[in-house]
Amino acid sequence: MEAFAQSIEGGIVYTWVTSIYWLWPLMETLHFIGLSLLLGGLIVIDTRMAGFFRGVNVAATHKLLPWVFIGFGINLTTGVLFFFGDPMRYAVNWGFQVKMVLVVIAGLNALWFWVRLNKDMHSWEPNADTPGEAKVVAWISLVAWTGVLLFGRLIPYVGTG
Amino acid sequence: MFEWLENTSVALWVGESLWAYPIMLSMHVIGLAIVVGILSMVDFKLLGGFKGIRVGSFLPLVKFAWIGFLINAVSGVFLFTSQATYFVSSTVFLTKLGCIFIGAILTKVMQGKLVAAEAAGTADDVAMKGLAIFSLLLWLVAITAGRLTAYI
Repeated sequence: MEAFAQSIEGGIVYTWVTSIYWLWPLMETLHFIGLSLLLGGLIVIDTRMAGFFRGVNVAATHKLLPWVFIGFGINLTTGVLFFFGDPMRYAVNWGFQVKMVLVVIAGLNALWFWVRLNKDMHSWEPNADTPGEAKVVAWISLVAWTGVLLFGRLIPYVGTG
Repeated sequence: MFEWLENTSVALWVGESLWAYPIMLSMHVIGLAIVVGILSMVDFKLLGGFKGIRVGSFLPLVKFAWIGFLINAVSGVFLFTSQATYFVSSTVFLTKLGCIFIGAILTKVMQGKLVAAEAAGTADDVAMKGLAIFSLLLWLVAITAGRLTAYI
């Protein structure tokens, strides 16, 4: 990781990100907008799949997914640029490392949903309780993304070596 | 008054404790995701999105958004005390606060209209596109101004 970070420093993206003084605050703002869209969509989808807010049609919550992907896309892009702009700080930062592990867990959890539950979802009662396995997936998603926010916000305050 | 606030034991705890400030910041971003996340989805719904979801079924989620609002009011007050004199003289911070204040009133107004429409069985035909766009703009400016508070 550190060798990779070292290879970035001085590179073309690193130079670009660090040479424009307003780019960092702009990307941070976009990162916050992205997290609002990502979490906004997921809070609705996951709380319903965990069995709450049963007035909301459970399968129809997936209409919110495009906003989740737009938010994720914004944050992946700005996130990669953050990393390229200050690689040595992120590479050794345990807040960042835990955040990335949680993003991977959330991704695998989404894959679990896709493989095991996505097809069945349309046969669930639209306004009834959800199956136990769906609840597990929903809670893992909510906890993982809350952790992503928590550890992401701690990055400036921990393990800068 | 703000100097006095900065020197209260709470403000000193937030400013000097190793973990108080970062933990408050973390709470603040989680609250932000709940408030802006849920309310923006409600706004997109009011703008005609998410076919198959009833507008009225989002009302309990709006209640949940107020919990996020509470988290941020509390964590926000703690964060404010530690640098009260700086924040109160910062134009971007006051812009953020203004947007949140108007946003809270707007949310209350929109929620009231939706509750009434839901009771009358007309929530899905409610015409609130203008208010929904206004709401999205307020949260956009609030986030932008909030982020820039750290820079300007």
